[in-house]
Formats: sequence, structure tokens, C-alpha cells
Amino acid sequence: MDFSINEDQQAVVQLAGQILQGEVTADYLHAVEAQGQRFDPRLWQKLAEAGLLGVSIDEAHGGMGFDFEALCLLIEEAGKTLPPVPLIPVLTAAMTLQQYAAAEQRERWLPGIAAGNLLVTTALSEPASDDPCTPSAGLQASGEGWLLFGCKHMVVAADQADAMLLSARFGNELVLLAVATTAVGISVVAQEVTTGEPQFTVTFDSVRVSRSDIIARGADAHCALESLVQHTLVASACMTLGVTETMLRLTAGYTAEREQFGRPIATFQAVSHRAADAFIDVENLRLACQQAASLLSKQSDATQAVMIAKIWASDVAHRVSQSSQHLHGGIGVDRDYPLFRYCLWAKQLELTLGGGNAYLMRLGDAIAQEFTRRAAKPLLDSNAA
Amino acid sequence: MDISLTPEQLALRDEIRGYMDALMTPALRDELSGEQREGGGPQYRLALRKMGADGWIRRSWPEAYGGRDTGPVEQYIFSDEVIRAGFPYPFLTTDGVGPVLAEVASPTIRDAVVEPILRGECIVAIGYSEPGAGTDLASLSTRAEKRGDKWVINGQKIWTSFGHVADYVWLAARTDPDAPKKHHGISMFLVPTSAQGFSFTPINTLGVRTNATYYQDIELDAAYQVGPLNGGWKMITDQLNRERLSLVNHGPCELLFEQVAAWAANTDAAEGGRVIDLPWVRHNLARVKSGLEVLRLVCFKQAWSMSQAELGMAQASAAKIYGSEFFVETWRLLLEILGQPGAIKAGSEGALLKGALEHRYRSGSVLTFGGGTNEVQRDIVAAAGLLMPRYR
Repeated sequence: MDFSINEDQQAVVQLAGQILQGEVTADYLHAVEAQGQRFDPRLWQKLAEAGLLGVSIDEAHGGMGFDFEALCLLIEEAGKTLPPVPLIPVLTAAMTLQQYAAAEQRERWLPGIAAGNLLVTTALSEPASDDPCTPSAGLQASGEGWLLFGCKHMVVAADQADAMLLSARFGNELVLLAVATTAVGISVVAQEVTTGEPQFTVTFDSVRVSRSDIIARGADAHCALESLVQHTLVASACMTLGVTETMLRLTAGYTAEREQFGRPIATFQAVSHRAADAFIDVENLRLACQQAASLLSKQSDATQAVMIAKIWASDVAHRVSQSSQHLHGGIGVDRDYPLFRYCLWAKQLELTLGGGNAYLMRLGDAIAQEFTRRAAKPLLDSNAA
Repeated sequence: MDISLTPEQLALRDEIRGYMDALMTPALRDELSGEQREGGGPQYRLALRKMGADGWIRRSWPEAYGGRDTGPVEQYIFSDEVIRAGFPYPFLTTDGVGPVLAEVASPTIRDAVVEPILRGECIVAIGYSEPGAGTDLASLSTRAEKRGDKWVINGQKIWTSFGHVADYVWLAARTDPDAPKKHHGISMFLVPTSAQGFSFTPINTLGVRTNATYYQDIELDAAYQVGPLNGGWKMITDQLNRERLSLVNHGPCELLFEQVAAWAANTDAAEGGRVIDLPWVRHNLARVKSGLEVLRLVCFKQAWSMSQAELGMAQASAAKIYGSEFFVETWRLLLEILGQPGAIKAGSEGALLKGALEHRYRSGSVLTFGGGTNEVQRDIVAAAGLLMPRYR
């Protein structure tokens, strides 16, 4: 048992913190928000040059070769600063390609992702479903290849992307593809979401797909997509950790300064106890995230741990956000003070790939399956009678 | 990072689980299901002596005491399994007061008490709280006065658990009533319950039996005053900090979660199917499971941090708050699954899971205020964890 962060991981935290804290200041974010485009190619390049876009890409493909825990620590730093770059989709896409794509596909995408000159995003959701293992998008055979039809939505950075990972059905078979965004038949329409993060509806109408675009089929595609969803959920939970840690830090600082009735409001127990509850929430979320990230890094079964991390992330995002706004009073909702951005991100992350209660139901189903299976055997524990 | 038990730790867990299984004989279980639920009966004493003889009590102690100096993670595994087995192990004696006596008591006291504790022959109760001194413990008024070379003790303590079966009470008494700060005039005493002037009356609480204990002109030799004179406050708070960690073990909760889930998977629902097929039952089980998994991580993180000598005050208090409030919620969620029969008491016709949850919910509420009330713990979290100023 070891809860410590190793030296490589510490180096990632330090490097990411240094770049992001240095670049992503309040003035910078105001400027980014004032312009149309919420993507900063200069910052993206800077992260690439530091090696951070390749944090979990093999050294053979130009990356740092660190594990998913290191990636999660980078994302937590992003949660603290909210840089206008699509780290979660691109870094999780890279992990999926690395594990499931063929050698020539890895060679085609991974070095470019690590270098910051190829941007591959993920398109996991459709208007009717957050589950990429049950897509409506479909493939039809056509000559040597296939034609892709369907619609994905809330695709991050689709306007900047060179390609997107997505799922489709070919008959009864599930297929994972990497589709180039330059292909004929793709249309991209911007969606305005609560954080202002650039997201898009992407429609595919007879988009030509060749064999080299297909990453995995059938059971392999299922595994790859489940893994992609799990990594996305845990990375999002880690971003929530960074977001809520920062809200809490702002709240503790503000209430210690703000005076009413002749004393800092932090000295009222009604205030400090609500902050203490938020502290407990954040520390508990940290442990749930670490457990899930650690299991995924070791490629152990993380199914329940991922659901638990998601459940905590959703609850803690909501609770800490509301407590922070409340304890700040009016300043907390003022867009000249930084808290509001974290509150918006807390809600977006809470809803990413579904809310906490959806996962609570899935966890309940998993528990029921486990105990129903055990019950099929003779009962070992007489206490249960 | 590797948040899993090593093969050695897993083997230790299994070894203790097997050992406790054998230790919990039908006769002992029977004794613990009745009036002597809190321990102290003849079967309990036998079992505790056996644990001593088999080396389990001294296991976490330094080698000088025949122990193996096992680390906090191993000690957590041990305590978790012992509590999970349903044995009311005297942790406050073996891991709270015992090590303090070994460190600072006079050789006479050490010889008379420490070795018997390690052999499982001696139980020490805690005498801190008084009718007028609970959360504000430093305002305690039990007095110890020096008369010649003897100490004379007068006062009353409350919530002295184990007080009716203990061999000693670890007593906090005021030795300097004129100290400028009330924290500075307190000293620690080891009071033999066989002393002339010691008496107790039972207090039957919602969940367990505890005691009021009375100290009337008890005369003690100087050696029974332990640690620095007027330096008792630090000893108390150090011990409470250690105790706080052992209050919220995940094991008992995990056991009841598994028992209720197994019951639900084996029980027909009135609506058809099994109880575990009902969506709200799954929802309750999932809420318990997601909270329980984090409690397990919180506890192991604490133990691991102690092994790295870096346990923070805020983390210890956060664990106590989270664990105690999670327990209360868990007993409720699990009792809902059992439904109306969940209210049938142990030993009565139709009791489910031997009435374990009916008893748990009654005894569970004390943890939110016992061992340092959660309001004070929240003050500590805000001050130590968030550096928020406190009102003076």
C-alpha cells in the first residue's frame, strides 16, 4: 500500500502547474472569453513543447511514457486553472489509440498528438445517448470501404480537430473509428454550452471510411470504447478535483478576509462548518479519484471504482460549488471575480457522460448482479438467513 | 501509487479473520449477545487472555515488550478484523493507555500493569468526562490533593465505559486549581477499581451500558500519578487523537452491507422477484457501497500516513466526522431494505440478521458526539485544513 506520488508524477505536477499558473491568469481568461475562439493554439504548443501532451504516450512515439495517474495529475492542474485547450478528449484519445490501434495507425497519430500538430478529439455522445457502446451512427458497405451516417454532439474542439474517435454500428457489429475531419460529408455546427467550452454537433452524411480508419471491431471495439469512457470519466473526476479544490481555497481565503458584524465571517461556525464539510468532500473525492486512476493505470478491474469516482465527482462538484457561491455571497456570482468559472465547470463536469445518479443506478445493478450470482450458490454465511 | 494490500497484508487479514472466527466460540457469542454485550464477562476474559497468550495484543508493540512493532497499516487491519468479528476488544487499554504507561509510568506501575495488559489480564477504563465537563473537558472538577506522600481523590466521572469490569480507571483530575489556564492544572492518575472509595452505577443508554463512577477520598501512592504533574492535558489530547482513528473502521459496515445484500438477493419481494431486484433497494445498496469504499480508503490513508509520520490534524478530524455520519446514514439505508422486520430485536421471533442492525442504529448515534463532538472536529478542519481564523 502506497498513497505517494512518484518522482515522475511530481515532475508532471510541477511542470503543469508552472505553465498553467503562469499563463492562465484572470486577465488572460477575460481576454480569451472576450474573443470568439475559445482555443489557444499558442498555449497548446507550449504544453506540447513541455512534453505534456504526450504525458502518457510511449517514448517510442515521442511521448513521456508515464502512466494514467500522471495524466490525471495534469488534468487536476487544468481543473485548478481552466486553460482553453481540450486536454481530456485529446489525451484520452491518445491512450485509446496507443492501446487499441494497429502499429501504422499509432505511427500516424501518436507522434503528431505529442508534438501538438495533430489534434484528435473524442466524439462519445449522440443527442439520444451518452453511451458510445450503443451508437445510432451506422456504417454501410460501399466498394472497398464503408459509408458513415449519423450524428455526434457536444464534441469538444471539433473545429480544431484533425480527426475524431467515434463509434458506429455495422450491422450488429460495434466499430471504433478515427475519422479525419476533412472528409467530404462532415458538417460541424457550434453548440454554446454552459462553460463556453467550444463544443459542436457533427453530422456524417455518406462519409467515406477506409480500412485504415478502423481502430477496432466487435468485442475489441467494445473493450476500447469502455476503456475510453472509463478514462474520460476518471479524468473528468480529476478535473472536478482541481475545480473544487480551487473553489474551496478561494472560499477559505475570502471568508477569512471579509468582515461583517466586526469580525471575519470565517469565525462564524455556520460559515466555517460548511467550509469544513466541503473540505471533507474534496479529500474524499481525491481518494476516490486516486483509487480509480491507480486501478486503471495497472489495468486492473476498475469498473466499480470508476463508477464510485464519478458518483463522488458529481455530488462533490454540486455541493462544493453551491457552498462556495453561498459563502462568498454576491462576489461569488460576479463575473469579475474568478469563482464563477469554476462553478460553471463544476456543473459541466457533473453532467459529462451523465449525472451521478445514473451511475448510482448502474453501481446498484452491478451489486445486485454480484450478490444474485453468489445467491445461486449455497449460502456460506448462516448469519444471512 | 498502489492502493491495494500487499500479499503479506492480505495474508495477515486472512490469518486474523480465521483466528477470530475460532476465538468467537458459541459460548462467547452467547455471552456477548446478552447483558454482557460490552465485554467483561467470564468468556470474554478467557478469550482476551487467549489473545494475549497467542501474542496478538503485543504484536503492534515494540520488540522490547515482546512485540513485532508492526506498522499502522497492519494494526488497522488487525483492529478492523477484530471489530468485524464482533469482539469488543479493549483498544483504549491496549493501544491508548497501555503505550503511555509503558513510556512514562514508574517502574512499579509499569511492572504491575503493562505486562498484564499485554497478557490480556488487565482492562483500563477511561475517566475523562464529568457531568459538567464534556466537550469542554478542561473544565473538569474532580480533585486530587497531595496529603503527605499520598494523593487523595474526590469527584465523579460519567460515561466510564468498561468501568464496571475494569481493573483500573485512567483518570484526569485537577491538581492545581489555581493554574492561570484551566488546561494547565490537570494530571493523570491510574486508579485501581479495588481502591477503597471507588464505586459505580450503571447508565443504560440507547445502545450500550456504560457507567457513572464515583471517587470518594480515594488514597493513592505517589506512583499512581502518571506523567508530568499538571501536564495531563497533552496526554489526554494525544490519546484522543489516537482514539479518533480507531472509531470509524470500515469493517463492521462492510460486513453488514454484505449481509444485507445477500439477504436481499435471497429474499422474495412481495412485488415479485427478489428484494434486490427493486430499483430503490439497488439505489440504497449503491449509496452505501460508494460511501463505504471511500471510508475504506480514508482509513487506510490515515494508517498509511501514520506509517509515514505525516498524519495531519485536519485529516484525522475529517475522517472522524465522515465516518461517524456515514455510519448513521448507512444503518438507515440498510434498515430500509430490511423494512418493518428490521425493527425486531435480537433473539426475538422473526429478527433479521440476528437483530444486528436494530442494535447498530441505536448505538450508532453516539459516535457523532463521542470521541470529540463533530462540531469541535469541524472547527479543527476549518482551522487546520483551511487556515480559517477562529473566534476567541
